[in-house]
Amino acid sequence: MTGGHHRILVVEDDPETAGQLADSLASNGYQVDVAANGSEALSRGIAGGYAVITIDRMLPDIDGIAVMRRLRDGGVAAPMLIISALGEVDDRVRGLRAGGDDYLVKPFSFVELLARVEALGRRSDTVVKETVLRVGDLAMDLVSRTASRGGKDIWLLPREFQLLEYLVRNEGRIVSRAMLLQHVWDLHFDPTTNIIEVYVGRVRRKVDGQQAYPLIHTVRGIGYCLRAPR
Amino acid sequence: MLLAKTLTSSTFKLALIAIGTFGLIVSGILSYVYLSTSSYVRGRSDRAIKSECSDLLAANDRIGRDGLAALIKQRVADGNWADHVYLLVDPSLAPLAGNLQAWPSTVTTEGWTEFRVPPSSARMDQPLIRAMLERLPNGDRLLVGRDIGDLDSFARQIKMAVFLSVVLIFSLAGVASILITRRTVGRIESINTTSRAIMLSGLDKRIPLRGSRDEWDRVAENLNLMLDRIEMLMSEVKQVSDNVAHDLRTPLTRMRGRLEKAYHAQRNGEIDQSLIGDTIADLDAVLRIFASLTRIAQIEAHTRKGAFCTVDLVEVVGKVVELYDAAAEQDGTCLTVAGDRAVFAVGDPDLIFDAIANLVDNAIKHGRAGGDVAVASEVVDGTPVISIDDDGPGIPADERGQVFKRFYRLEHSRYAPGNGLGLSLVAAVVRLHGARIEMLDNSPGLKVQVWFSAPTT
Repeated sequence: MTGGHHRILVVEDDPETAGQLADSLASNGYQVDVAANGSEALSRGIAGGYAVITIDRMLPDIDGIAVMRRLRDGGVAAPMLIISALGEVDDRVRGLRAGGDDYLVKPFSFVELLARVEALGRRSDTVVKETVLRVGDLAMDLVSRTASRGGKDIWLLPREFQLLEYLVRNEGRIVSRAMLLQHVWDLHFDPTTNIIEVYVGRVRRKVDGQQAYPLIHTVRGIGYCLRAPR
Repeated sequence: MLLAKTLTSSTFKLALIAIGTFGLIVSGILSYVYLSTSSYVRGRSDRAIKSECSDLLAANDRIGRDGLAALIKQRVADGNWADHVYLLVDPSLAPLAGNLQAWPSTVTTEGWTEFRVPPSSARMDQPLIRAMLERLPNGDRLLVGRDIGDLDSFARQIKMAVFLSVVLIFSLAGVASILITRRTVGRIESINTTSRAIMLSGLDKRIPLRGSRDEWDRVAENLNLMLDRIEMLMSEVKQVSDNVAHDLRTPLTRMRGRLEKAYHAQRNGEIDQSLIGDTIADLDAVLRIFASLTRIAQIEAHTRKGAFCTVDLVEVVGKVVELYDAAAEQDGTCLTVAGDRAVFAVGDPDLIFDAIANLVDNAIKHGRAGGDVAVASEVVDGTPVISIDDDGPGIPADERGQVFKRFYRLEHSRYAPGNGLGLSLVAAVVRLHGARIEMLDNSPGLKVQVWFSAPTT
């Protein structure tokens, strides 16, 4: 992995938020540059070399969406995470259509932000087209849509398979509940009850039940992480 | 005050324009009547004089000056010709016959002439005579005329009548328009007074009705209804802000207390950790309330009608049931889906999903633990309808309207998780879609039905 893959451009006009973002990303091993307005974001972004760019939707000079569009027009391929106080679906769709890769509504937890940045950063790595995913003794056959642990088949519903696949693809990274809802169910609403926990619980029983070690771990207050013991 | 308002009101100005136009037309018509009547009467009199004149001329040709004089004397003596004036004079203007004392000095030329003569008796004052002067071949002059005093006074009377009726029409119309305008201005003024009172004091004032069921009463009625609605909305807003204040204040107070206590206490890694965690959880709850409120507000502001399309309700219901399947299983609830194979409605798929998800969530949460929840999408009489049935405690009939209010929570569910905003969101989505929601008794339990509108084919 080159150094460029650990550099992140944070475009945020509020100095305190920008500082918090930079600190929490830096403490997770990223090199962070901050741009406080749209024009600075453009000059830094075009110069290139960022693994992920996070863009605040409302900037003092140029609208965040316009910044994103100009960066894309300028040939910037880095994944972009839109951060906005406007959470409505129309707004989200507009942001994603303009070239954004993910959308995070303010206020958010830094763990959620980290999880999203991690997931986006991985996308800019070379994606290997595999047909079988493996973590520890778990194997997922993406063609026959079957999963097994230690050679023993695990029976999963289609949605459960999708959920496990998403966790496996993000092996070792934290996946938030909102990310699951978004990527597994394609939903952008806020369920007041613990439906995701219950759903993951069911998958976990099927995957981790009566096994030597657990694969799916709960990360308190944010979501889950699938990893094999070292 | 009222008079000034009357005179400056647009109704009055319009009335003036109408009176002016109408008056001009009426004056024109009456003038025409006057002119044609008087010229007709005058023409008749002139024709009579002319024919008498030619009769006498013919008599002169036939029987000569003496015969003519005799004929004139005979005419004068005859009562039938009493209003006629005759005078035959010789070239030296000495009267030969007739009922005029002397040749009137003003008459010199032949043809039509008008003059006054001294009265023949005391009965009248200088009668006006219209006459025709003819010169006879022998140099005599013949004057044949008529007393047109009556005619003249007739014309004057007509003129007077015309004038009086114009004046009468104008003054009646003027008075009428002032009265009508005054009435209009008065009603508007009472509406204005109420409006000002409302602006000054509060929404409890209403515009008085006169009970006349006229258009003014209808306007006042509608304005009053509008005021009722505004007052209701205001009290709802107040209720909501009270509830928001309460629901936000509770966790905020908790957080503040916790932080304050921690601030004064010794640092202790483990305690601090859990304190911060709890505080973040409380903050998240507060933020979630905010998010729900703004979302409801956005839906209610009709900002999303652009996203309307044909929605497959079977698919939406399927997605919801699949999402809540695990939660139901954990609860021991049996969640089933049924209904027709193809049910289409017009709407926003994301919002319909949210609404149905909320209703299913409620059914699982508030239904009987280990009970049944059945979700069905079907077409009833051409109308797409989604129903969610549970067999829990249900909602008392008198509380069914209340549950859609923001932050409303039933007594027995006060401590269940949730913020009392779910059904408000459902209600907002239902309103945006022009749909209808019904809560029925499932005996036991609750049956919620949402009636959408079918796509037009």
